Amino acid sequence: MADLIYNIAAIIALAGIVLSFIRLIIGPTIADRAVALDGMTIISISLIVFIAYYSNRIIYLDVAIVYGLISFVGIVAIARYLERGI
Amino acid sequence: MISIIIIVFGIIMIIAAFLAIHLKNLLSAIISAGVISLLASVIYLLLAAPDVAMTEAAIGSGLTTIIFIFTLKKIKKGDLDD
Repeated sequence: MADLIYNIAAIIALAGIVLSFIRLIIGPTIADRAVALDGMTIISISLIVFIAYYSNRIIYLDVAIVYGLISFVGIVAIARYLERGI
Repeated sequence: MISIIIIVFGIIMIIAAFLAIHLKNLLSAIISAGVISLLASVIYLLLAAPDVAMTEAAIGSGLTTIIFIFTLKKIKKGDLDD
């Protein structure tokens, strides 16, 4: 039962990544694409945590921590460039 | 489940690579290149290589995007057309 629930959650997270990527394809402005990249990053972090549960390895959670920190810095750099303040 | 995730991410990476080549705006191309390395990191993790995934997330997704944005700022001299 719990395995079924985790599978459904992973499929919903995967659908979220696909929908964010569709917004990144058809997004007319730069801000749409930056927000789509941010959303893809956050959903990917949740998917990494799901993979860590699915394969019973604690070491995969460290990858999620590094991923969140570094992608935040990248999004901040893009936002500062859009504000012409970098 | 793992194979479904790998197939979907591979398709998205191929589309993002075409998008990074064919987009006219340079900042959109940089964001598309960031998507490629972001999903490559998750695929490295699915292939049971967490240290490679950590290095890819730190250098490919973070540092390369920031360096590209600094270079774009240098070569465009501040004019931002959308």
